Amino acid sequence: MPLLEVESLAVNYGPIKAVLNVGLTVESGEIVTVLGANGAGKSTSLQAIVGLLPIQQGRVRFDGHDITGESTERIVRRGLTLTPEGRRIFAPLTVEENLRIGAATQGKGGDIAALWDQMMELFPILASRRKQLAGTLSGGEQQQLAIARSLMSKPKLLLLDEPSLGLAPIVVELIFDLIKRLRGLGITILVVEQNVHQALDIADRGYVVSGGSVVLSGTAAELKTSPDVQKAYMGHG
Amino acid sequence: MKRVPVHILAAGLAGLIGLSSIPALADDLVVGAAISLTGGLAYADVPAQKGMQLAIDEINAAGGIGGKYKIELKLKDSRSDPAQTSVAAQELIDDGAAVLVTPCDADPSIGAGQMAQAAGVAAFSTCASSPSLPLAVGDHMFTNFPGDNVQTTVSAKYAIDSGYKNAYLLMSPDTSYTMLPNYFKTVFEKLGGKVVGEDNYSMGQQDFSAQVTKIKSLSPAADVIMTGAYEPDFPAFIKQLRAAGITAPVIGSDGIDSPTTFALGDVAEGVVFSTAGFAAPGNPLDAFNKKYKAATGSDPDTIYIAIGYDLVKVLEAAVLKADSVDRDKVWAAVRELENVQGATSTITYKGTDGVPLRQVALVKVVKGNRELVLQEAPDPALVPAPKL
Amino acid sequence: MAEMEILIQQCVNALSLGGTYALLALGLAVVFSVLGMINFAHGEILTIAGYTVFFAIVGNVPPILIVPLALLVAMATAALMERIAFRPLRGANGTTLLITSFAVSGILQMLFQNLISTRPRPVPISASLTGAFNVGPFHIGVIQSLSIFATFAMVGLLTLFLKRTMLGIAIRAAAVDFPTTRLMGLRANRVILAAFAISGLLAGVSGLLWIAQRGSVDPLMGFLPVLKAFIAAILGGIGNLTGAVIGGFFLGAIEIGLQAVLPESVQPFRDAIALSLVVLVLLYRPQGLFGAAHSVRP
Repeated sequence: MPLLEVESLAVNYGPIKAVLNVGLTVESGEIVTVLGANGAGKSTSLQAIVGLLPIQQGRVRFDGHDITGESTERIVRRGLTLTPEGRRIFAPLTVEENLRIGAATQGKGGDIAALWDQMMELFPILASRRKQLAGTLSGGEQQQLAIARSLMSKPKLLLLDEPSLGLAPIVVELIFDLIKRLRGLGITILVVEQNVHQALDIADRGYVVSGGSVVLSGTAAELKTSPDVQKAYMGHG
Repeated sequence: MKRVPVHILAAGLAGLIGLSSIPALADDLVVGAAISLTGGLAYADVPAQKGMQLAIDEINAAGGIGGKYKIELKLKDSRSDPAQTSVAAQELIDDGAAVLVTPCDADPSIGAGQMAQAAGVAAFSTCASSPSLPLAVGDHMFTNFPGDNVQTTVSAKYAIDSGYKNAYLLMSPDTSYTMLPNYFKTVFEKLGGKVVGEDNYSMGQQDFSAQVTKIKSLSPAADVIMTGAYEPDFPAFIKQLRAAGITAPVIGSDGIDSPTTFALGDVAEGVVFSTAGFAAPGNPLDAFNKKYKAATGSDPDTIYIAIGYDLVKVLEAAVLKADSVDRDKVWAAVRELENVQGATSTITYKGTDGVPLRQVALVKVVKGNRELVLQEAPDPALVPAPKL
Repeated sequence: MAEMEILIQQCVNALSLGGTYALLALGLAVVFSVLGMINFAHGEILTIAGYTVFFAIVGNVPPILIVPLALLVAMATAALMERIAFRPLRGANGTTLLITSFAVSGILQMLFQNLISTRPRPVPISASLTGAFNVGPFHIGVIQSLSIFATFAMVGLLTLFLKRTMLGIAIRAAAVDFPTTRLMGLRANRVILAAFAISGLLAGVSGLLWIAQRGSVDPLMGFLPVLKAFIAAILGGIGNLTGAVIGGFFLGAIEIGLQAVLPESVQPFRDAIALSLVVLVLLYRPQGLFGAAHSVRP
């Protein structure tokens, strides 16, 4: 049974029918990418999966449970979370506070200390910025903070929405490296990206969304060589 | 079953028997009260209404005024809103009220009074004390409380007689009532006193530290402080005044004739205020208080109850004099009334411009109880003319 | 009194009045920061705290329990308001919530008038609270110093709560970006309820100070404090907690300052002048002294 199973999802964004028919699955341990142009409905789908937007039609199953229509807080507690587009770190809070609030689901157990150490190891730059206000970090640092904050809830499946957006190439490199390392930690990943090259480099499989519907799917290798993908997203004529 | 509104039923019935409306019994005195059962004036109008009701029940139980004319009270909540008061007044007048009762404040009473004036109906404010109210409306408007100018004449004379020479005045431009220290000033200066300082405050501001600091720095120091402030302002003011170590005596007005003043403890000790009446053993107000307690089971907690009772006693006297419940005759009779015995005082409208001649009681707060300083009607020559 | 002494005395006065305004504004701002709504029924929480004291005294509740009881009732009232009136409207726009809060305020005033009394009820506060003490040449009232002390104590406690506890951090996070706070697995209802409870506590404290000064509680007394709080909060930058405190002190200073310096003939215009000064500040800083950062609402 797949870890995440989305069936013919339809979502409205305000008055706009942003997602018409998105279906996808993610197996435990995979890295799956969702590709598509701006406004294709990728972000909207992710927000609906985690319960931030109401689902008009379709079903979402996660880890053996039907989570369609569940509240975000409940979904997150089930082990499914989202690192939103644009990072959305809490700028007036310190780095430490951002991470602490990320661990809100973890109760008062001793796990938090271990999680904390793990984050400091994964993101050494954050260790040195601990008391700094999150809003004063660079873009790359903020993205790392956003991912670390999501990891503090110990997700089984992490949804990443455009993690490389607006970052310098060298930082983009670092973020993708990091995503690969996360898989090593047993975290399954669904990543939405416009950076098609790099996304397909690290992903096992991918989906292409256009006009609110999935139009293409396959292994990363298949998609890389697909003439449609090449033409539309990779700048090859 | 669906319920049909009563007035539709009544109209239908009237149509059936060929009448345009069903009048009150011709021999009933219809009193329309457009007063504030809710909102900012309810603190005074609700007790006044209780006093009115007691008098009406008493009179009706005895067979009506002079054994002939029963009183019918029609009540509409004016919600402490001048516009709403006018609407309610018009409805009551249209509904056949021979007398109109308006709220305990000049502002809503002016609008409602003008309706009554136009319709030729006598209007009484429950307890507004502004002497300018009848001037603003016309000869059909009456007040039912010792006027601001009358109260302060008595208190200013008392201040001079007590040997005070330098007064400090605290007033608020928010209402005409809270400006009454201006009348005090006229009389106090006329009698040789001097005003050494005066300040304004905003009603409800609760903070008087700036004024108190100024009083402390007055030179010469004030030996008496006069204000028309009432709660919540008065308690806040006197607490802060006493906390600052200022011990000058304080004179207030009827607005502080309230349980709060007597619950203030040491800070209120010795405060003197003017009010409409004082219950001494065996006097009419004492008798009223006992009657009220017998009827309701509780002691009256404000003078406004007795004032409401007074109002109905005035109406009773007017109907007796006119031997009619006709609105014009009742109005004409009110203007000729002399020495009507109310619960608080004797009341005279004859020869006045609508503000009754009444006695004023000066009451001192002593250990949380009231002690009578004096009770008198002031020398008319001293009373300042109403200021509009 | 020498000029200098009067000046210092007036500064103490401004600090005390400003402190009360700061607590009031803080109560409004805590809810606004999380929900984006001004709760105009905030004043009725003060009233309820006052009635609690009144009934506790009448009912012979031991004096030591009266203050905690009043604060508890104030918090519960705020929480109930959220649960009954505002939660069903979650996600509605600010105007709807604002009008709802006016309705809640009106309904409560009506209930006080009909179920308790239209007349003010005396609240005799023990004489020890109405006294004063001297510091050098200065006379400082007990209530005055209590309100300064209470302001700093509450601001201190609130700061600790907001910095040190998960719920506190969550409230600050929710003030910046509510949806993302939910992504942290935080229960929205809990965070919002906590914000209301805190605002209730602040209203309770300012209500007790307010009532200690006025000596009575009446059904309509909540309007003026909430108005002052609103002005102070706007002045400070609505939704910004530091701003609310500064705005409160600023408003207190303006009011006391004008009372002290304006000649008698101009004094009737004091409130108009004070509000004009507020407008002037807002003309130059429309976002208030400490304009809130752009935030994302639930």
